[in-house]
Amino acid sequence: MSFPSWTLLSQSVLSGVFAGALYGLLGLGLGLSWGLLRTINLAHFAFAFLSAYICYQLAAVSHVDPLLTLVGIVPLMFALGAGLHWLTDRFRLTPFSSLLLTFGCMGIVESLMQTLWTADPRKLESHYAEMKFRLGPLYLPIPEVLTLLLAVAITVAVWAVLRFTDLGKALRASAEDAPVAAAFGINQRRNGFLLAGTCSAIAGIAGVCLALSSSISPSQMYAWVGVVFAAVMLGGLGSALGPLVAGIVIGVSEAVTMAVTSPSWAPLVSFTLLILILLLRPGRIR
Amino acid sequence: MNARRVPAGIVAAGLLMGALPFLKLPAFYESFLYLALFWIVLATSWNILSGYAGYFSFGHGAFFGAGVYTSATLAAKFNWPFLWTLPMAALVAAAIGVGVGAVVFRVRGVRGEVFALLTLAVTFVLATIVGNTPIDGGPGVYLNAVPVPKLGPSPTSSLYLMMLAAAVVTLLASWAIRHSRFGAGLFAIHDDEDAAEVMGVPTYRWKLAALAVSCALAGLAGGIHALFISYVTTAETFNLTVPLTVVLMSILGGTRHWAGPAIGAVAITCLLFAFTGGEYAVLGKGVIGLILVIGILFMPEGVMGKLRRKGIGSLSEGAARPHLHPHPNPLPQAGEGVRQPASEVLLRVNGLSKSFRGLKALSNVSLEVRKGEILGLLGPNGSGKSTFINVVSGHYLPNGGEVWLDGRNIAGLPAHEIARAGIARTYQIPRPFAQMSVLDNVAVAAMYAGRGLPSLDAGRREAMQWLEFTHLAGKAQSLPGELNLHQRKFLELARALASRPKLVLLDEVLCGLTPTEIQSAVEQIRRIRDQGTTIVFVEHVMDAVMALTDRLVVFDQGSMLAEGAPRDVMQSPAVMSAYLGVAHA
Amino acid sequence: MTRSTFQRRTVLAAAAASATLPLAAWAQQPPIRIGSTLALTGPLSATAQVHKLVGEIYVEDLNKRGGLLGRKVEWILKDDQSKADLARTLYEQLITSDKVDLLMGPYATGGILSAMGVAQRYNKVLVHHTLGVPSLAKYDMQFPAWSLGSDPGNTTTNTVFEALAKGPKPPKTVAVVTSKFPSIHFMSMGARETLKKRGLQEVLFLEWEFGNRDFGPIASRVKDAKPDFVWVGAIGLDGNLLLDAMKKIDYAPPQHFYLYPAPGPLVTLPEASGALSVTIFEEHPPFTSRPRAAEFIKTYRERAAKANFPDTSVEVQAAASFTAWQILEAAVTATKSLDDKVLADWLKKNRVETIQGSLRFDGPSNYGDDLMRIKQVQNGKWVVVYPPEFAPPGVKMTAR
Repeated sequence: MSFPSWTLLSQSVLSGVFAGALYGLLGLGLGLSWGLLRTINLAHFAFAFLSAYICYQLAAVSHVDPLLTLVGIVPLMFALGAGLHWLTDRFRLTPFSSLLLTFGCMGIVESLMQTLWTADPRKLESHYAEMKFRLGPLYLPIPEVLTLLLAVAITVAVWAVLRFTDLGKALRASAEDAPVAAAFGINQRRNGFLLAGTCSAIAGIAGVCLALSSSISPSQMYAWVGVVFAAVMLGGLGSALGPLVAGIVIGVSEAVTMAVTSPSWAPLVSFTLLILILLLRPGRIR
Repeated sequence: MNARRVPAGIVAAGLLMGALPFLKLPAFYESFLYLALFWIVLATSWNILSGYAGYFSFGHGAFFGAGVYTSATLAAKFNWPFLWTLPMAALVAAAIGVGVGAVVFRVRGVRGEVFALLTLAVTFVLATIVGNTPIDGGPGVYLNAVPVPKLGPSPTSSLYLMMLAAAVVTLLASWAIRHSRFGAGLFAIHDDEDAAEVMGVPTYRWKLAALAVSCALAGLAGGIHALFISYVTTAETFNLTVPLTVVLMSILGGTRHWAGPAIGAVAITCLLFAFTGGEYAVLGKGVIGLILVIGILFMPEGVMGKLRRKGIGSLSEGAARPHLHPHPNPLPQAGEGVRQPASEVLLRVNGLSKSFRGLKALSNVSLEVRKGEILGLLGPNGSGKSTFINVVSGHYLPNGGEVWLDGRNIAGLPAHEIARAGIARTYQIPRPFAQMSVLDNVAVAAMYAGRGLPSLDAGRREAMQWLEFTHLAGKAQSLPGELNLHQRKFLELARALASRPKLVLLDEVLCGLTPTEIQSAVEQIRRIRDQGTTIVFVEHVMDAVMALTDRLVVFDQGSMLAEGAPRDVMQSPAVMSAYLGVAHA
Repeated sequence: MTRSTFQRRTVLAAAAASATLPLAAWAQQPPIRIGSTLALTGPLSATAQVHKLVGEIYVEDLNKRGGLLGRKVEWILKDDQSKADLARTLYEQLITSDKVDLLMGPYATGGILSAMGVAQRYNKVLVHHTLGVPSLAKYDMQFPAWSLGSDPGNTTTNTVFEALAKGPKPPKTVAVVTSKFPSIHFMSMGARETLKKRGLQEVLFLEWEFGNRDFGPIASRVKDAKPDFVWVGAIGLDGNLLLDAMKKIDYAPPQHFYLYPAPGPLVTLPEASGALSVTIFEEHPPFTSRPRAAEFIKTYRERAAKANFPDTSVEVQAAASFTAWQILEAAVTATKSLDDKVLADWLKKNRVETIQGSLRFDGPSNYGDDLMRIKQVQNGKWVVVYPPEFAPPGVKMTAR
């Protein structure tokens, strides 16, 4: 095992940052709904993949610019998310019951996607895939840069809303103690729908980023659950900055391992690091 | 009662099903039942830690996989006779689980999703290690050369019988734990781990024990499964399907019932199998999802939860009122008992200190509590009274000083040992175990604090006495949420007393009560002292303080201000200015 | 009534009766039932759907030609949901409960090994089309339709390097990067052995977990190693993701090989130009001149397009599947029997003519010749380039 060149190492770190940004973007909505709405929303992944497929269909078949598809996808996902929230709210599901419900939704959406697009993996070949920046010896491909920018922008926006606006404070208050918050006049129902819709809309954006940078197939949803849950739980439920930071930590640790030793050891390093972080500092990243 | 019937029923069902291979039915039935039994073992074993104790694990796949690879390696690479690999599989899985738990449970704050993530991470770590070392290394392990033990007329029958045995063992374990002192402790940990610890439940050891049992059973199932599929690869074994599926099965069936996960396992296995026809396979997947969605909407607490609400499940809870036969240690009635001269020292506190990041909540407090007395503890808000109780009972660790009880320094000991030494306390804002019945709330204290009763039945009998003492007998089967404040305070009282402690620390037990209720509470407290229990009584209601206490201690800003007979203390100028401020003449 | 009328009517009646006789016989005889499972849902379903389509096409055609032994053929297909334990249970159901006459194998190594165990216990012949690890095929009555030969880690990798040696730019340095997926991994290990034996230098060896998402660092390491030739132990879309990652850092390997890629996506990728792979069948002569190949290609393309498959060409998977059915049909027709022992004995002693070529099953583990050829992406299409007799006229291997 020879020590890799600085270029190789830096490029790998960059690669890890990009991968982590996608984990973070996928995890943001999941973590918010888990922490603030007490719903473990597995359907989040289904929404992301559905968005990816819609983006693929519009871009590859109808030749719409992939980024333009967001115009339709974001409202659609918002509506779906709010609708799902209506279900969990109306039937007063506990977090674990919502896990089961959303898993069922995942199965329904998977069946739908396989019926419409077959089980074959699809890869969106857009003109964005050709574009890249150069920073000295380092390459920054545009789809990944886009993902990173979107992830950072949305994360910071959410953080700011939660921290500084009344809505954000109301959401955090409701999560801490719902009856008391309601007693203070917070309209939890309306806030809940807003938040749930926003989380799913973020999933939709993540889905488009996914379509731009990776291949998609219906059963692949399940492959992301592990690492995104890890990012969410490491970053802290209900935290805005947490999933992104945690995702990047995971992505970079995996990438560096892949650069330095055999890539098949990557999960060992990233998850051991995770375990150590959790044990030495179980507090959340706020 | 029902107590003997359920395990007998499980064994009988097991024997009945064991006869299946000899009925010359098509082998496919054994194969299908094998799959259902397999999931019963995995889901039920998961539930023992995660459903009962509330430590939600996402890593059941790791322990299952450990079992798979232990058996596969020993059988295929070292030519062990297959049956001998099974106990090893269970052992290795349990060892890994306990190893992880020993470290993880030591860290305070590892609860909820942190534990879930840790266990998930363990899965990936284990998978990578197995896949990159000679244990597997990539090509997978092929067990076709391993002879299947001849337990039944065909190899499929033998595997079926092995998994049947595992399922019977697992269900028996699940039932036994649910109805034992150990299980009550786990449920207490589930609802409020800190309160459980203070009440005498050795939470660290109990969690490790539950984890060990859970992992051992998962490893056993894994070992048998290795032979069933006969070709094991890391991707198949360690993928997220196993942990996710067992969670779903348990939630669907109901996590608080010993048979809940088993019911969920059978339901989902049948559901998946129903849609194996080739024609509508893809659509079938969607239909399964839809059924799950509808199922959980109408049964949010799972199948068993719904049945219990209809009063069906409670029969097997063994929760009927215990027989009223003469109790070996009846409580003295009011007026009975002789007041001991209050001279012998029960508890001696020397220089006790506690700080919270620089704020000195207790500084160098020294006092004595004499046997059989009611010692009043007064002071303005923030003076350190509750902190004192928290430190003495073990809820907080002191920063300095000693606490001597019966010749032993209990300062710094884990809270459950302090409880076993004979100190009990109530919480100012009641902290009952929210999902356990009132009776069981008290039974936990009876079983774990003080000398501790050895069985759930004994605990419940003792608890019933104390519920009668505190006039809560009629509410024995209710959940704490259904009680009003007065009743919850009395529940706290009953819990504190159930272990017949030497010393009871009452933290503002009268706060929030109406005058009539206060009267009845004062009566109770007198009765308690009359049977020989020493009481430290933190209170603001002055009438009660003057009426009850033998001696008074006044705290102010973390240190002791005055001490002595009630009238003297209340008239001392220092105390008056602490409470009322300096007099402006 | 005159006698001639009577005679005519009798003749007509007799003629009518005899015309319906085969139909009546067809209707009276129970169908021959062939049972199998496929991963119709789950992660393996992308490729399994090809096998479902091929099976349907074959059985329909078979029935049009009169069925097997004069009886209609019915294919009982079940979904094993990509799970080996379910596959095992379903095969047991097919044999002991549904009581099918013959078996056909499921998709992919894991499922096939499960099914093989069951077949072994009930002494049934198992013809399979996608077993990737011949060394694991230890059952006497199993027959592979995918002609890897019994030692593809050696023979197939040899073919690859031979082709390169005889190509326009024989490589001197090789990078071997591979997935750890079992059927890929041992082939890549074989490649390492072979390249050493041929005096080539290995400048990089990397393995990644099956399901790896981030190929950036791997691409960087390949670029750093500057190999003449990259052997990519890829399955599914690994190859595409790696090529994408390489393009993002402005790297294109001089010569590259992908073991079992998803063919459609790779062929449409511009940077995949010149990529090599292995195949047992391609849609050009001499393969297309094998009996029934041309019409199969036509039918498959139509039906695949209707089923919305993104890739409608016949290649390794579809060809292997078709071959499997051909083997079964040949054995049954030749022996006029449904007895598994009889079928197995016949197969071991005889050759079967298939669209892959002439297959034999008398080698180790019932494997015959290694019929893997080398193909290359040229002008957006796969064409065989080695051995030259299997290449279309005028086509040769190209290198950057």
